[in-house]
Amino acid sequence: MVDRRAEVVGRLKVLEESAAPLISFLQNPALVQELRSDQQYNLQMLQERYQIGSDQIEALYQYAKFQFECGNYSGASDYLYQYRTLCTNSERSISALWGKLACEILMQNWDVATEEVNRLKETIDSKSFASPLSQLQQRTWLMHWSLFIFFNHDNGKNGIIDLFFSERYLNAIQTNAHHLLRYLVTAVIVNKRRRNVIKELIKVIQQERYTYSDPVTEFLECLYVNYDFEGAQQKLRECEEVIVSDFFLGKQLSENGFVTIPLRDEFMENARLFIFETYCRIHQCIDIGMLSQKLNMNYDDAARWIANLIRNARLDAKIDSKMGTVVMGTQSPNIYEQIIEKTKVLGQRSYALTSNLILTSAAVTASAAQ
Amino acid sequence: MASRFWTQNSDSESEEEEVSDLEDDIPLGGEGGGALPSKYLQGDSDSDESDDQGPRMVRSAKDKRFDELVQTTEQMKNYMKINDWVQLQESFERLNKQLEKVNRVTESVTAPRIYIKALVMLEDFLNATLVNKDAKKKMSPSNAKSLNYMKQKLKKNNKLFEADIEKFRANPESEVEDEIDEDDEDAESADGFSDDDIVERTMNSDEEDEEQEDDGGGWTSAEKKPKEMFPKMDPGQISWEMVDKKLKEIIVARGRKGTDRAEQVEQLSYLARCAKTPAQKLEVMVHVVSAQFDVNPSLNTHMPIAVWKKCVQNVLVILDILAQYPNIKMDETSEPEAENETEKGADYEGSIHVWGNMVAFLERIDDELFKSLQCIDPHTKDYVERLRDEPLFMTLAQNVQAYVERLGDMRAAARVALRRVEHVYYKPQEVYEAMRKLSELQSRVGGAAAEIVAGEDGEEKDGEAVMKASTETKGPAPFVLTPEIVPRRPSFPSVNRKLMDQLVTLIYKHGDERTRARAMLCDIYQHAISDEFYTARDLLLMSHLQESVMNMDISTQILFNRAMAQLGLCAFRESLVTEAHNCLSELYAGGRVKELLAQGVSQSRYHEKNPEQEKLERRRQMPFHMHINLELLEAVHLITAMLLEVPNMASSVHDMKRKMISKPFRRLLDINEKQMFTGPPENVRDHVMAATRALSKGDWKKAVEVIQSMDVWRLLGQRESIMEMLQEKLQEEALRTYIFTYSPYFESLSLDQLMVMFGLPEAQVHSIVSKMMIAEELHASWDQPTRCVVTHNMEPTRLQALASQFAEKLNVLVESNEKAFDARTGGGGLEGLGRRNKEGQDYADAAGGRRGGDFGGNRSGFRNNRGGRGGRDNQAGGRGARDNQGGFNNYNRGNQGRSGYNSGYQSTRYQDAYSSAGRTPYQAGPASGINNRGVQQADAGGRMVSLSRVGSNRF
Repeated sequence: MVDRRAEVVGRLKVLEESAAPLISFLQNPALVQELRSDQQYNLQMLQERYQIGSDQIEALYQYAKFQFECGNYSGASDYLYQYRTLCTNSERSISALWGKLACEILMQNWDVATEEVNRLKETIDSKSFASPLSQLQQRTWLMHWSLFIFFNHDNGKNGIIDLFFSERYLNAIQTNAHHLLRYLVTAVIVNKRRRNVIKELIKVIQQERYTYSDPVTEFLECLYVNYDFEGAQQKLRECEEVIVSDFFLGKQLSENGFVTIPLRDEFMENARLFIFETYCRIHQCIDIGMLSQKLNMNYDDAARWIANLIRNARLDAKIDSKMGTVVMGTQSPNIYEQIIEKTKVLGQRSYALTSNLILTSAAVTASAAQ
Repeated sequence: MASRFWTQNSDSESEEEEVSDLEDDIPLGGEGGGALPSKYLQGDSDSDESDDQGPRMVRSAKDKRFDELVQTTEQMKNYMKINDWVQLQESFERLNKQLEKVNRVTESVTAPRIYIKALVMLEDFLNATLVNKDAKKKMSPSNAKSLNYMKQKLKKNNKLFEADIEKFRANPESEVEDEIDEDDEDAESADGFSDDDIVERTMNSDEEDEEQEDDGGGWTSAEKKPKEMFPKMDPGQISWEMVDKKLKEIIVARGRKGTDRAEQVEQLSYLARCAKTPAQKLEVMVHVVSAQFDVNPSLNTHMPIAVWKKCVQNVLVILDILAQYPNIKMDETSEPEAENETEKGADYEGSIHVWGNMVAFLERIDDELFKSLQCIDPHTKDYVERLRDEPLFMTLAQNVQAYVERLGDMRAAARVALRRVEHVYYKPQEVYEAMRKLSELQSRVGGAAAEIVAGEDGEEKDGEAVMKASTETKGPAPFVLTPEIVPRRPSFPSVNRKLMDQLVTLIYKHGDERTRARAMLCDIYQHAISDEFYTARDLLLMSHLQESVMNMDISTQILFNRAMAQLGLCAFRESLVTEAHNCLSELYAGGRVKELLAQGVSQSRYHEKNPEQEKLERRRQMPFHMHINLELLEAVHLITAMLLEVPNMASSVHDMKRKMISKPFRRLLDINEKQMFTGPPENVRDHVMAATRALSKGDWKKAVEVIQSMDVWRLLGQRESIMEMLQEKLQEEALRTYIFTYSPYFESLSLDQLMVMFGLPEAQVHSIVSKMMIAEELHASWDQPTRCVVTHNMEPTRLQALASQFAEKLNVLVESNEKAFDARTGGGGLEGLGRRNKEGQDYADAAGGRRGGDFGGNRSGFRNNRGGRGGRDNQAGGRGARDNQGGFNNYNRGNQGRSGYNSGYQSTRYQDAYSSAGRTPYQAGPASGINNRGVQQADAGGRMVSLSRVGSNRF
C-alpha cells in the first residue's frame, strides 16, 4: 500500500511538473483572457510567448486524468475544460469530453452534466467516425451515462424521452442496448405530457420483444397490444418490485425519517390511469365495485376518483350511482356527416375549375383574334 | 453358353445406354486373355442381321464405326489383290481416321483388333511387294510413288502398335475358334466393370499401364502413345529441356481444331511424371488441370465424372507441391515464358513463379460439380453417387483456402470460403451430419487403402485407384515425388452453424460486395432453416439486401428468392402469419415461383422463349437436392393468405376501396367460386379453398380438418406443434370473421357464447374483441356487468354505403377533371400528364389512400396491394430509415463497411412501401413513415397550389 502510494505520488509529481507551465498560465485569469476563440492563434501564441508546446498540453491531459483517478473531480473537470480549448486532436477532445462528463456526474452537478451530455451528443452526431460501429458504441455509452443524469435531474424525464426517442438513439437502443427500453418506458409512463409517443414506443417494444422484455415493457404490451387487463395488473405488481430494486428507478428519498421512492408512486399512479383509460375506451358500462377492486381502492375512493376524472374532462362518462356503474358516453361519427364532409368541397372545386376553363378559352379566343 | 451371350446381348440392345456401356468395355474386355474384340463385334453386328432377334435395327454409333473399319479393311484386301497402291494408300489413311473416331466413341486408346489385323496384312503385303522387284518395276509411276509413301508411312505407324502386332502375329487364328467363348467372357467381364471404372482407367494411361500389366500382361496397345513423345528413350534420360519443349508444343496445340483433348491430357500427365523439378512438375500439372477442363467443350454438359475426380486429385497434387516447396509461388501475373525458372531444382532457395490460379481452378471444379448435378436425373443412383463427391470437393476447397490464406490473399480466400458456404448453407443439421459421417467413412476407407500400398507406391492416387493399383509399377516412376502433405479428408465442425459462422465471418471481413451479399444470403437461409427467424430477419434488414438485390446478377437474385422463401417458411413455423405472408407473397405475385426459385421452368402462355433464353434458364437451375418443396411453400403461402384475407374480406363487404391483402389468393377464390360443382379437395389449392369456404362461415372445425388433412405437412419437422398453431390461428380468425360478418345483425353478443363457439379461452376472446374495438373495426363496446358485447350498429345500411361510395367517386371525378385541365393548360404534353398523374396518385395515396373503386381501379389496386404488403416492407422502411440516417449499421459480427449498401441505392421496389407507412405495427423510425407521409403531402400540396397559380397567372 505504501509502495503504491509512493508510486502514485511520484507519478503525480512528474505529471505536475510537466504540466506546470501551462497550469500556471491557466491559473492566471488575466492571461486566460488573452486566449481567443481561434485555436491556431492560441497555440501559436502559447508557443511563442510562454514556450508551451504540444507536450505540455498533452501533459495537461494526463494530469487531468490522473487527478480524476485520484478522486479530485473538480480539478480534473477544470483542467479538462481548459484542455479542450487547446486541444487539436479530435480523438483526445472526445476523451476529454467524456472525462468532463464523468467528473460532473461524480460531482452530481446535474445541470452542468446535462450541458455536457448535449455537447457530447453534438460531437458524436456531427463527427464522422471512422467506422459506424464506434459511433454506435459512443452513442450507447452516452445513453448509459445519461441515465445518471436523467433520473436525478428535475427535468430528466423529458430529457430522456427526447434523447432516447431521437431517431439515431432509438436505433442504437434497438441494435445494441435493448435493456435501456425499460428506462424509456418508465419515463414515458411517468411523464403525463408525453402520451403521444406511447404508440411508437409500443411498436418498438413489439419489435424487440424477442430479444428483450421485462415487466415494465410487458405491462405496456399487456395493456395496449393484448388488452389483457388482468395481465396488466399482474405485471404492474411485478413492475413495482423491479422499480424498487432498480438502481436508477428505485432511488430512495428519505424525508423526516420516511423512506419514499417517488418514482414508484408516480409510476403506479400513472399506470393505474393508463389501465383505467383503456378500460373505459372499450366498455360501455363498468361496475364501480369491480373497478375499485382493480384499482386497489375502496368503493368511495374509486367513485370519487372517477368523478374527478369526469370533472377534469378527461372522461366522457356518467356515474349511475343506483346501479353502481359508470356509463360511458359513446361518440361515433354520423354517416350523414361523413358524406357531407366529403362532398362539401366538391362544388367549390368544380366551380373553380369551370371558371378557370372559361378564362382559358377566353384567352385562347382572344389570342386567336389577335 | 451361347444362349446366355445372346440373351445378354439382346438385353443390352434393347436399351441404348447399356449398349454403349457394354461396348465401351469391348476393347478392354480382352484383358482377360487376348480376346478379339473385332471378331466379337463382327459377330455382334452379324447377329443383328442374320439372327432372328426381332426387327430391331438399333445400332449404336460404335457399331457403325466398327462396321466402317471392317468395310475399309475388306476394301484394302481387294486392292491388295489387284496391287493398286494408290487406292491402298487412300484406304490406309481412311483407316487411320476411322481408328481415331472409334477410339473417341469408345473413349479408349487401344486400337481395335481389326485395325491391328489390317496393319499386319498390309505390312506383309508390303514386304512381299518390295521383295518382288519385277512387280515393282512393272508398276505405273503413280503406283510406285504410292508404294514408297506407304512404305514410310507404315513403318512409322506400325511402330506405335508394335506390341499389338507382335501379339497378333503370335496367335492370329485364335479368334475364329474361341469366338463364342471369348465373347461370352467379354460380356461377363464387361458386366463386372462399372462405366466409371472404365472411363477412369482410360483417362489415365499411367494407371492403365499398370493395370494391364498386372492383369496378365498380354494386352498392350496404343496407349503407349505418349511415350512416343520421347521415342526410344529411357525415361530417366529425359532432360528438363526436353520436357519443357514438349510441354510448349502441346500447349501450342491446345485449342486447335484437330487436337484430341483427351489425348492431350494423357500426354500432359505423362509429362508430369517425367518432370525434372518440382516447379516444372507444378507447371505441367497446372496444364494438366486446364487440359482436363478442356475435355468437355460445351457449356451445357458437364465434365465426365471420372475426369472430374482425376482433376480434383491433380489439384490436390498441385497443393501438395505448393505446400512442400513454399518458395514456389503461383500467380497469374508471372509470365509463363519469362525465364527458365522452373529449371531450378528442389533445393533452390529463391522464389520461383509459376503461372496459375488455384481459386479459378477450384471455382471451375465447383461449377462442374454443380453442372453435373443439374444434368443427372435426380431419381437415379448416379445422383446419389455424385452427391457423395461433395466431401471430396469440400476437402479441396478447404485446402485451397488454407493455401490462399497462407499466401495472405484474403480476397481469394473469401471467394473460396463462399464456395464452401454454398455447399453447406442449404443443409439442415441432420443432412450436414450425414455428410460429415460420410466423409469420415470415406476417409477411413481411403486411409486404410493408402496404408496397404503406402510402402510400394509414393504416388498420388485416390483410394479407389490405389486399391486397384498393382503392387509393381512398371510405368516410369515419377521423378518428383510428392508426399501427401495437404490433408485428404475434410474436417467438419460438428455443428454446421459453426462452420457457417467461421466462413461467413471471413467473407464479411475480406470479400467483395457480391461475395459478401451472397454469403449474407446463405447465412440468412441457414438461420431460416434452423428456425431462427429473428436473427435471419435482422440480418436481411440490416444488410439492406432487399433494396440492392435488384442490381445484382441473376443467380444472386435467385439465392435471394430462396432465402426469402425459407424465411417465410421459418416465420410460418414460428407462427408469425403476417411475416410469413409478406415473405412469400412477392414470390407468388407473378405466378412464376418455379422460375424465381430456379426449380424448373414454367411454360408461359404469353411469350415464347427463344432457345437461347431457355438454355440460359436451364443453366441456372438448382440441383434437385437443393430444392425447396414447392407444394409446402404454396400451402404455407395460401394458408397465410387465407388467414389474413378472410377476415379482411368479411370486414369490407360494402366498401370496395379496402385493400386486398393477397391478390393471387383472391383470384384463386374467384375461380373457385365460379365453379359449378366443387368436388372433394385434391391438391393444395383445393384444400385451402375448401378451408376458406368453411372459415368464411365461421366454421373453424371444418377448416381445421381440411387443412390438417393435407399431406404436405409430413414434410415439416415439428408437425404436432404446427398443427396446434394452425388450429389456434384458425379459431382466432374464424372468430374475427364471424364478428365482422354477423355483428350488424346482433344487438349484443355474449362473451360466454363466443367462447363456446370458437373454443377459445375467455382472455383470448376478450383480447381479440377488444383489439377490434380499439382499431375501430367493430363498433361495439363491452358491457362489463353482463359480460357481453353491445354493438352500436354503426354499420351503414346499403344505401348509406352506396352514397358514401358515390361521394368518393365524385371526388375522383373532380380530381381527374382538374388533372385534365392542368395537363391542357400547364403545357408539357403527354409526358407532363403522365408525371402529374403519378404525383396526383401519390397525393391521393398520401391523403389517405382515398381512391375510387372502379376508376383506374386496376392500377390503384395494384399500388394498394403493393403498398399494403405491409409489415415486412414497411418495417424494412423503418429500419432502413433508421440505418440510413444513422449512417451506420452494425451487425455485431464486426462487418463494418457494409454501410456501402445503404447509400445510393434507389430501390423502386420498395418505394411504395415507404410511402404507405403507418399502417403496420412495425414502423420503427418515426421519421420513416409519418414524416415521409407528411412531407409528401406537403410537397404534393405545394405542387397543386403552384399549378393552379400557373394556371391563373397566365391570364
